[in-house]
Amino acid sequence: MLTLTPKVVAIYVDRLTQQWVVRDEAGHLWALPNTETPWDDRQPFTPADEADLDPVPGHYKYLLGLPT
Amino acid sequence: MNAELTRLRDARDHAAPWRKWGPYLSERQWGTVREDYSDGGDAWGYFTHDQARSRAYRWGEDGLAGFSDDKQRLCFALALWNGQDPILKERLFGLTNSEGNHGEDVKEYYFYLDATPTHSYMKYLYKYPQAAFPYADLVQSNGRRGRGDFEYELIDTGVFAEDRYWDVVVEYAKAGTDDVLIRITAHNRGPEAATLHVLPTLWFRNQWSWHAGDPRPSLEQVPTGPGLRVVRAAEPALGEYFLACEGDAPLLFTENETNTQRIFGVPNRTPYVKDGINECVVHGRTDAVNPANKGTKVAAHYTLTVGPGESRSVRLRLANVAPVAPPGGNGAAATAFATGFDPVLEARKQEADTFYADLTPDKLSADEANVMRQALAGMLWSKQFYHYDVDKWLEERGSDPFAATRKAAPRNDHWHHMYNGDVISMPDKWEYPWYAAWDLAFHVIALTLVDPDFGKQQLKLMLKERYLHPNGQIPAYEWNFGDVNPPVHAWSTIFTYRLEKSITGEGDREWLKGCFQKLLLNFTWWVNRKDRTGRNVFEGGFLGLDNIGVFDRSAPLPTGGYLEQADGTAWMALYCQNMLEIAAELAVTDPDYADMALKFVEHYLWIASSMAHCGQTGMWDDEDGFFYDVLRLPNGESRRLKVRSMVGLLPLCAATAYDGRLLEKYPEIAERLRWFLASRPELCAAIHDPRLPGQNNRLLGSILDEAKLRRVLSKMLDEAEFLGPYGIRSLSRFHADHPYVLNVGGREYRVDYLPAESDSGMFGGNSNWRGPVWMPVNALIIRALLQYYTYYGDAFTVECPTGSGHQMTLYQVAEEIARRLAATFVRGADGRRPVYGGTAKFQDDPHWRDLLQFYEYFHGDNGAGLGANHQTGWTGVIARTLHLFATVRPEGVLAGGKQAYLQTPKPRTEVATLVPEAR
Repeated sequence: MLTLTPKVVAIYVDRLTQQWVVRDEAGHLWALPNTETPWDDRQPFTPADEADLDPVPGHYKYLLGLPT
Repeated sequence: MNAELTRLRDARDHAAPWRKWGPYLSERQWGTVREDYSDGGDAWGYFTHDQARSRAYRWGEDGLAGFSDDKQRLCFALALWNGQDPILKERLFGLTNSEGNHGEDVKEYYFYLDATPTHSYMKYLYKYPQAAFPYADLVQSNGRRGRGDFEYELIDTGVFAEDRYWDVVVEYAKAGTDDVLIRITAHNRGPEAATLHVLPTLWFRNQWSWHAGDPRPSLEQVPTGPGLRVVRAAEPALGEYFLACEGDAPLLFTENETNTQRIFGVPNRTPYVKDGINECVVHGRTDAVNPANKGTKVAAHYTLTVGPGESRSVRLRLANVAPVAPPGGNGAAATAFATGFDPVLEARKQEADTFYADLTPDKLSADEANVMRQALAGMLWSKQFYHYDVDKWLEERGSDPFAATRKAAPRNDHWHHMYNGDVISMPDKWEYPWYAAWDLAFHVIALTLVDPDFGKQQLKLMLKERYLHPNGQIPAYEWNFGDVNPPVHAWSTIFTYRLEKSITGEGDREWLKGCFQKLLLNFTWWVNRKDRTGRNVFEGGFLGLDNIGVFDRSAPLPTGGYLEQADGTAWMALYCQNMLEIAAELAVTDPDYADMALKFVEHYLWIASSMAHCGQTGMWDDEDGFFYDVLRLPNGESRRLKVRSMVGLLPLCAATAYDGRLLEKYPEIAERLRWFLASRPELCAAIHDPRLPGQNNRLLGSILDEAKLRRVLSKMLDEAEFLGPYGIRSLSRFHADHPYVLNVGGREYRVDYLPAESDSGMFGGNSNWRGPVWMPVNALIIRALLQYYTYYGDAFTVECPTGSGHQMTLYQVAEEIARRLAATFVRGADGRRPVYGGTAKFQDDPHWRDLLQFYEYFHGDNGAGLGANHQTGWTGVIARTLHLFATVRPEGVLAGGKQAYLQTPKPRTEVATLVPEAR
């Protein structure tokens, strides 16, 4: 069976919850926990109304171990 | 051959990579386009000085007196702490473009005292206050000032009162290509003993965080005995290096990684981040550095207490071999420092003296020689590893060039072919830490005094496929690679070729051919893109002259329509002449190029005649005897914009004398040219007739015939117009009393004579072409005058200054302009250097008065330095003009033409130490 890994298209920080957030190609947002394998441990993320998502440069995807 | 020349030869022959290590760190990586990932392109606001200590850079590194390998893998720089500041002094502080009342400006005092082209000996001075650095005062006080006020400088804060500061001298000397000796000397200039924390810092440029699979380099402490600390640095591509630190200073290790908690508000994945050493030293947070003594960034922490007027030194050694430790005792320290250090450092220093003594003409005074040497030192210190993969950068900001859905990048969207990763000569490593194509052409004119190979490499680099746009455009600068700079690359190319030919007896024809082919692409780009109507008159926008026009020439005109630019067209005439020179040189051995030479003769004539024709619609104004831009309005009307500026002097610069060898060697070319001119008599009707022989049967390509030349010169040499006490002004002083005013759509546009700073925000507001003296265009004027002189000879004289009754040949005029330029820096009869204006400390204090800063431009009336204050880049051309007029004689120029100067200077025997010592 072929498993497709969604591609990350944007990275953010959520200042409110102090965590990394990524958006995949399908437009889904994921929160990345502070673990050794943040992408594997990602959780669906729904921004709170008062969420303050700041964009982070794309080169941080390697630092966060995101799929390329 | 002196020792430095031997090293240069070995580097050229690939026998020894003497340039592998050099001062290749920037002085400001924050606030650059490369580090800017904001949607709106706010480079200054996106990555700030405040963030720089905590946030890992993506594209390059910065530091004080920095040194690195030529790929900037491993970096070394100085950090300091006076015990008062809220942060370590790891990098230079300055105001951003919006903080400064005249744009961005570094607020520090540092000086490039000495340098050799292989970086075998380098010397740098930083002046560090003992009181808390007045960061907030500088920001707030400048913020309160307007464009009509002076800038508020560090010296104005009073922080140097009672001389309570440190002179910190950093010296590098190479014991081998991979063995760098480092001596840091702190002089306490104050009246009391004081303590200084000196933190020589070694780190790896962070590449591992930004690329998949890039191995992580490592720094770790190596066990040693007392009196020595050693760090082992390992990186796969670079290999293994060892930093030996004399004494028992603690080593503080951390990682060159972003403090994500501070920058993004997200917990750090490691406790050891980029600002860990800062936290440890300034705030006593010992948990911020790694007790395991390993990482990717390390500093040796020396705490020096120094009495008033005294000094202490710290010695280090960075080499690719471990300090050898004989069995027992602290032999490693002895080997690294006791026997092989000071003698080698002193030897390199002596060799630098010899190198410059051999280079410096006898005719120069000691003070002039000091100006020349510091100018060249500044040029050599201004080399920087410049890294920018535009495709990658666009992708990282969500602007993938080929993605179906993408964000538009705020700039450089069409330059995704570019991959830059080279050591490049920068205009100013703080204010302009990015290359600028036309600046670079002038840099090479000066750099080739000391390193012709580097000059050649720089010119070729800009033409490589990784730089030159596929459409032929030479990249302007990172703020907008697609901007248009004056096309001076060909001029610098033929100059550099001839220089090498005169030194070695043989020109590098393959290099010249390679450059010519790429320059053809660029020339064609100009013709196809900037000649709107196909009538051989050119636009180009601001063309490097920022605010010189009544309108922003790079923006749509408020009147509608377009400008036919006198400078754009003159630059293209000069470009043709330079391409003709190159083609003629290549045609000596390769007939294919003879045809190209004829092509450029004809193209030059089309352009020159288009420019010079008289009448209501031409650029030449016969009533004023001057060239102006022409405004073409949408309704078909046109008018000259009668601003007397450098724009109108540039046609004078499009002048080149030829020896006629091409026509002798290729009679068929001569015949075709004769036919062309005979069948197009209108071409030569308003310009200098290129068939008329001059001195030694030379021929002259010149837009200006003799009558026009005399008329333009009468304005240029009038002290009430262009001729200032310190060079040719960028705008005529005539406009002080007669501002140029144009009313369009109910709005007034005007040009006033502004000899100092700009009064508007046009082009960032940090440059001003409405009065000040600019070195590069003065250099071009001097070049042109010498070309005219070789053609017209001694019989052609003009009144200089206009109205003085004093007649001069054009050689004497050129020499007089050069003398005035040099007088900006040289101490006058009153003991003052005009460049420092009314700043008493710089004029009088023995620890300041011989230290020179080579500013971006100079006050049109008093010579005070303005704009960027370390732009030894093109202002470094002063070294070339000093050298030129101390080398040649007018009779030699008349007899030998260009070759009169392009000869190996006669070595002189005595060795003088010309560099100010840190006393």
